[in-house]
Order: sequence, then structure tokens, then C-alpha cells
Amino acid sequence: MIALAATGITKTYGGFTALSDVSLSVEHGEIRALIGPNGAGKSTLIDALSGRNPCLGRVELMGADISRLTPGKRRRLGLSRSFQKTSIFPRMTVRAQIELAARAVDGSDGMDVLDEFDLRPLADRLAGDIGYGDQRRLDLALAMTGQPHTLLLDEPAAGLSFEESKRLAAHLRDIAARRGVTVVIVEHDMDVVFAIADTITVLQLGQVLAEGRPDDIRANPDVVRAYLGSAA
Amino acid sequence: MKNSLSWLGFAALGAVGPLAAHFIPAGMTLSLLAQATFAAIFALGIGFLIRQNGTISFGHAAFFGLPGYAVAALLPLKLMPLEVLFAAALVGTVALAFAIGLVVVRVHGIAFGMLTLAIGQGLYEAATRWRAVTGGHDGMTLRLPREVFGLPVKLLQQPHGMFVAAWIVMTLCLVAVWLFARSPWGRLTEAIRDNEERVRFLGYRTLLPRAAVFAASALLVAIAGMLSVLYNAFISPDAIHWTASGSGLIMAILGGSAVAWGPLLGGFVYFFLKHAAGAYTTHWLSIIGVALILVAVAFPNGLAGLMIRQRSRP
Repeated sequence: MIALAATGITKTYGGFTALSDVSLSVEHGEIRALIGPNGAGKSTLIDALSGRNPCLGRVELMGADISRLTPGKRRRLGLSRSFQKTSIFPRMTVRAQIELAARAVDGSDGMDVLDEFDLRPLADRLAGDIGYGDQRRLDLALAMTGQPHTLLLDEPAAGLSFEESKRLAAHLRDIAARRGVTVVIVEHDMDVVFAIADTITVLQLGQVLAEGRPDDIRANPDVVRAYLGSAA
Repeated sequence: MKNSLSWLGFAALGAVGPLAAHFIPAGMTLSLLAQATFAAIFALGIGFLIRQNGTISFGHAAFFGLPGYAVAALLPLKLMPLEVLFAAALVGTVALAFAIGLVVVRVHGIAFGMLTLAIGQGLYEAATRWRAVTGGHDGMTLRLPREVFGLPVKLLQQPHGMFVAAWIVMTLCLVAVWLFARSPWGRLTEAIRDNEERVRFLGYRTLLPRAAVFAASALLVAIAGMLSVLYNAFISPDAIHWTASGSGLIMAILGGSAVAWGPLLGGFVYFFLKHAAGAYTTHWLSIIGVALILVAVAFPNGLAGLMIRQRSRP
């Protein structure tokens, strides 16, 4: 079953075309990585899918057209996202913001997410006072609160140490497998990408350059030339 | 435990006013205290807007004067009892503020400030030019009945009676603001203030809560205006001029809006500083200006923030 589908996504800023007729189809429970050089249009695509920026084209969630829905409505339908920069509430306690996130979607207290992301020991601390790695975890926990079935992650490993990135990759893999969550992830850390992705879409200059399983992408000479280089 | 202490604090605060009124001889001081209490409630409304929405209004004085003008204009028509008229004027002011809020809270920072300034000054111009209804620059005198809310009007027009009444209303307003900040709505609006985009992506609508906060702050300011009208039986365009909004802002900044009671403190400090300085010089505004700069630079969380910091020192 297709969880998330995008057809003909086009986004222009003045005379610059950030995305040109991009289409994407992600199976339920799949982890799809979006990779490509800076300016390829990865974050723009995530923004288009989540409703952050208006764009041309059609976005479907579980078969329903959500192209014209606000981000809030998309969230209530089960599509959640995190941001490139940590997007939390620094003056609120960890517990208060998880409760806030849970109340918006299912009216629960969200305490299961606190445990799942190992945030309970930090629950009563202000989010601005906890470490950067913990803030990134909280960011992810906010996106996961309320049991969304589709998750869009924009560089979740940015700024994390090697060890933290490895733990994050394992955690994402575990969540996707256990909860059956569909994940679309933009990430520059190729260790994380190749560790968790079922399928990889490579973007270049706002267009899809290649799409396939990690081994195929690693072996694709166009992708190696355009982006992976020695990382492959 | 902490909540019980807060309730005890509110009860003590509520008792301070009537007790002070008992010991302070009737006259100028009590009259000043009554007017300082109106100013404090006014500042509470402006501080509430800063605290919950993170926005600074240069036009809130409009909501201070609007219900007074409504009562003054409608009272001679004898359409309804004065108490109902008071309630209708407050409801009307809040409804108007909510409608204005739906437009102005869409923008932030300077744009928000300028929009509120424009709306406030628009109402000021209407009050000065629509002489047939508002009395123009001369203002309007209210001919109040003998009794209001079961109390003799004379009692509420004496410093002692009005100070006690205004003090109790002020305490109730503070309790309301405190309860709001602890409610899910309070948390939601604080979250919107800090990171509106994330709140939208969590699944909330952000426009209505922000407009509701704008309307609630207008209600607090309107209550202060209503008390002032009841006490003075007079309303003039000066009450809604942008400089009155500016004074309210100075009070809120002096007191600090990080805690609910900060603007109240700022209101009293501003009012008595103004009168003390005014006794020595006509340039009292320059003294207020220096005080404001000192507080803004040295104590960004205002006098309330300073007091909390002193208390929490080991």
C-alpha cells in the first residue's frame, strides 16, 4: 500500500526552480532517504509534502488528496515532521511540550513517547537547559507524539556525534519496524542513510537523478559522480 | 504545596487593600491609590498580551476608553439598566477586540505595533471629531443613577469605596491571569509565542488562540477603564490617546511581564513615581524615561524579575 505519494511537485522562487516535476511514491512502512548535494531540493520537497510551502503538484496520504490541507490538518491525519534546525520550546519543560503535542492529536498525555525516547529523566527540566543531543531527541519525540503513521525527517542527525548518529539510526529503524511507521528522511550522513534506508531517492538541481535500493544507488555511476564520490 | 501558597498569597493580597484603606485617612492618598489601581489593572492587560502573545500594542488605550464612551453615549437613552449596560459595553469591547485581533495578530513585531497604533489613533480621531456623540475634545460626563450593582454610586465615587472595590477587582483579575497561564490554553499560547510554526505542525490552529489572548487583554484594560469611568463619571479622548497606551507599556516593562504580578507592580511604581516627580518638576517624563532605560538595561525582566532574583539568592 502506498502511504505517501507526490506527483508533479514543482516549486519556484522567483526565477529559480527549486523542484521541477518531482514525483515520489513511498510504500507503507518503508524508510525512504532523500539525498543529494546542497540546493538539490531535498528540504523543499519535505516542505512541499508537509504543507510548509505552497507548491504545484499533488500530494496524497494513504490515498487521500492532502495537497490543499494546512500543516495542522495533515498532522491530524497522521503526517508528522521534524525540522532541519532543532524546533522545540526552550522555555517549557520537556513534559509540558510532549503533553501539548499529544493533546493536539489524540488527547493522551504522551508519556509513552517520553519513555520511548528515554526522556523521562529530563521530563521536568526546561528544554532550553538540556544538552543538544537530548534536544534533538525531544524534537523527534515531538514529531512522534500521537502515533503518526508517516514521518518526514529533515536532517535529524545534524550536529550529532558519530555515536549519537549511530544510536539515532538504530532507534529510527526500530520505531519504523515496531510501529509500522513510514519514514521519509533527508540526511547528509551517509552512514545513517545506508544503515536505515530501504530505498533512496537522489535529487539533483530539483529533479530526480536516481531511485533504488541502497546497493544499486551506491553502484550508480551518475550518483557517484554527482554526489557520493568517495563516500560510496 | 506551591499552589496552596499562591492561593494564600492571593487571599493576603486581596485583604491588603481594604486593610490599608481602613488605616489611610480619606483624601488625596486614597484617591491616588484608587487611580494607581486602575493603572495597575491597565498594565496587567498589556503585560498579559506581552507574556502570552509576545507582542507589544501601541493602541490598547482604545479598549480602556471604548466601554466608557459606550456607556456615556447609551446611558441617556435608558435602553437597559446600568449594570446590563456595563456588561454589554465590556462584551462589545471584547468582541471588537477579538475581531481586530483576528487581523492584527497575523503579523508580528513592528508591523503589529504599527497596526495597533493605527487602530487606536483611528478611534481617537473618531472620538475627537464625532462631537455629536462623543463631545469631542470636551469629553462626556456620565449622569449615573443613585445605585449601581446594589451599591450607592456615591460610595464608588469616594476614594475609600472605589479603592477597596478596585483593589478587589484587581486581585480577581490577577487570579484570572494566573489561572490562565497554568491552563492548557496558557501553555498553548506560550508555545505559539515561542515557536508558532512548530505548534502549527503539531496540529493546532494558532490564529484563534492569539486573537483570544488579544481580546482577553483588551477585557482587562476595559475593566480598568470601566472602573475609572465609574469613579470620575467622565470620559475624554485623552484616555484613548496613544500616549496612554505608551504609559501602559512603560508600566508593564517597568514591572516586568515574566510573572503575572509584574505589570501590577509596574503600574503602582509608575503612578507614584509620576506623581512624586511631578511635584518637583514639569519634566517628570524625563525621570520616568531614565528609570525605564535603567530597568530595561539592568533588569530586562523588570522590577518583579529583580525581586525574584534577590529572593532566590542563597
